[in-house]
Amino acid sequence: MIRLSGRLRASLIIGGQGIRARKLRTFLSMVSLFLGVLAVVVVQAGAEIANRAMLADVELYQGKDGTRQMYVPPEGQAVPVALEVLEGRTDAVAMTTSRAIIGEPGVKPINEGGGPIDQVGDYTGPRMTCDQSGCYPVQDANSGAPSGQAVELQLVGLTGDVRQFRPFRPSQGRWLDFGGEPSLAPRLVLNEQAAKAFTRYHVPAEMRVDGATANPTPQIIGVVDDGGYQPAAYVRADELMNWMPVAELGDSSSGGGLQVLMTPTAVEVEHVLRARLVAAGTPEEQIHVNTVETLKRMSTELALMRWIFLGMAALVLLIGVAGILNVGLATVGERIEEFALRRAVGTPRLLLAGIVLAETLLTGLLTAALAIGAGVVGLQLAMTVFGSRFPALEGTAFPWQAGVAGVIAGLVAGVLGGLVPALRAARIPISTVMRA
Amino acid sequence: MTTTPLLVPPPPLIHLTGVTKTLKGQDEPRTILAGVDLTVRAGDSVAILGRSGSGKSTLLSLIGLFDRPDGGQYLLGGRDITRIPERKAAALRSAEFGFVFQRFFLLKHLTAAQNVAMALVNGQGWLPRRKRKAKVLAALDRVGIGHLAKHKPPRLSGGEQQRVAIARALVREPRILLADEPTGALDTETGNLVVEVLRQATEVGCGLVLVTHDHDHAAKMGRVLHLSDGLLRPAGQRVIA
Repeated sequence: MIRLSGRLRASLIIGGQGIRARKLRTFLSMVSLFLGVLAVVVVQAGAEIANRAMLADVELYQGKDGTRQMYVPPEGQAVPVALEVLEGRTDAVAMTTSRAIIGEPGVKPINEGGGPIDQVGDYTGPRMTCDQSGCYPVQDANSGAPSGQAVELQLVGLTGDVRQFRPFRPSQGRWLDFGGEPSLAPRLVLNEQAAKAFTRYHVPAEMRVDGATANPTPQIIGVVDDGGYQPAAYVRADELMNWMPVAELGDSSSGGGLQVLMTPTAVEVEHVLRARLVAAGTPEEQIHVNTVETLKRMSTELALMRWIFLGMAALVLLIGVAGILNVGLATVGERIEEFALRRAVGTPRLLLAGIVLAETLLTGLLTAALAIGAGVVGLQLAMTVFGSRFPALEGTAFPWQAGVAGVIAGLVAGVLGGLVPALRAARIPISTVMRA
Repeated sequence: MTTTPLLVPPPPLIHLTGVTKTLKGQDEPRTILAGVDLTVRAGDSVAILGRSGSGKSTLLSLIGLFDRPDGGQYLLGGRDITRIPERKAAALRSAEFGFVFQRFFLLKHLTAAQNVAMALVNGQGWLPRRKRKAKVLAALDRVGIGHLAKHKPPRLSGGEQQRVAIARALVREPRILLADEPTGALDTETGNLVVEVLRQATEVGCGLVLVTHDHDHAAKMGRVLHLSDGLLRPAGQRVIA
């Protein structure tokens, strides 16, 4: 152990002396290697950041990995039973979906059908229903109404804080408070599409909800980014139920059914809910439960992309390795006398090889440190310049995986670039070189 | 009745018997050493004279374990090392031998002290920096250039450079000093100084084998041998055909 330690120290000391003696050559080796290691660092960092950004976007509308999702059909007493079971629970949240129109009373909404506000005219129109004889418009309150200033949106009733499952990004104002008593004026948190509509059209705030007994006046308290492309608003389910019977929440004509999001540990509530629903007459085969496995689903395609890019980076790295190899071979050629002398004074062949490898490894590590540093600075700059355009990247730190990849790339390049020169150095014959 | 202890002399440092070496190049194989016998004891100083190409340097490279003989036997301190593997040979070169060459072989980017320390930082054991420094300075002082420890070779004269090389050879306190034409690149006065430094090493029990063309320098050694026709003979002895 002591012997090995002595050899390791000797190779590091002599390697360091070699680097100091040939600063320009070391610098030129580093230049050719730098781009290769930087390519590996950038690809790895890019893949990690893209991975996180994609996951963050997908989580907004699909839920975090591991979330259990149950779909409760709208028929019978299923929705009232589910809401009763989930009341006051924090490990499971029910989401009801209704259609709502906010704006001038009795007018047809600007985006009839609830389509994106930027595409009014393209994707808007009366709701359609289809049967065997064809598709035709649904006869609802909008039928025959005059056009006016109103926005149609999807109204999502919540029994608890859904952000533990779907991490909406706050944009303005505040999120719903589920702690206090329900308000008679339903408090709404808009998504960004809905907020855009209300910024563009300053409409009077009367809210028409399908199935409601009267039209309440809503309070808009905040805006979130929920990753959706259609206008939507989130509301406490109990505040909505002040204005509509609970059975209407699951009305199939206004969206239908109910989605329950549960933590992976909420096994008990899942069993109770399933049992109560079956007891209330819901056929068991209509109750669907699945687990969100976004990472697993996406990992294959992400891994493929990463390997393709890493392959390209490896090619760039190879050019760097060729550079370090070229410089290494030239240096060994110049240092024949030094290596022969070192062998003459008792340096073993293995240590000689170690000295050359130590030099290329130190060069590789130094280059890796510079490339990682450049990566960190580059990311900071990119975040400063482009950060506001990509909210999903907000607060993104330099991924440690990219640092590890850079160090590994530096070491691999050092070994590949130094191996052949090291073997050559170890084979230099003493007697022919040292002859008088 | 008293008994006198039986005094057994220590084995010679170097004992070569019938050593042969043939060089195999592109042309016909050429026998360089045809059965060399040589014995060097502690404190001996041996000069080897001979024409260019007579095999002096080859003999020295066999003694210094740079190369292996084709035949014969090589005992070092009584131990047969004729077929010693390279790993053990490197350890012996470090522990037993000091080498001085005609061309000094100093590394220009290192100081005199660092050049001397090269023999200590060779993977054969590890000395802490302080001890290493003390040994290096002692070796430089021993050859009279302690004050030049921080100078790099380009700033030293030929004689000073050769003395740095001698300090490098002495720093591990070897039992045998091998010098291959150490004065070949020096003027007469400086050459005499270098030979004197080498000879002084024998006063503390070190064996010295000096390969030289200079008869004056050879005359300062305890024994003078002549290498010709692949054989080593005492100088002055004629070959009778």
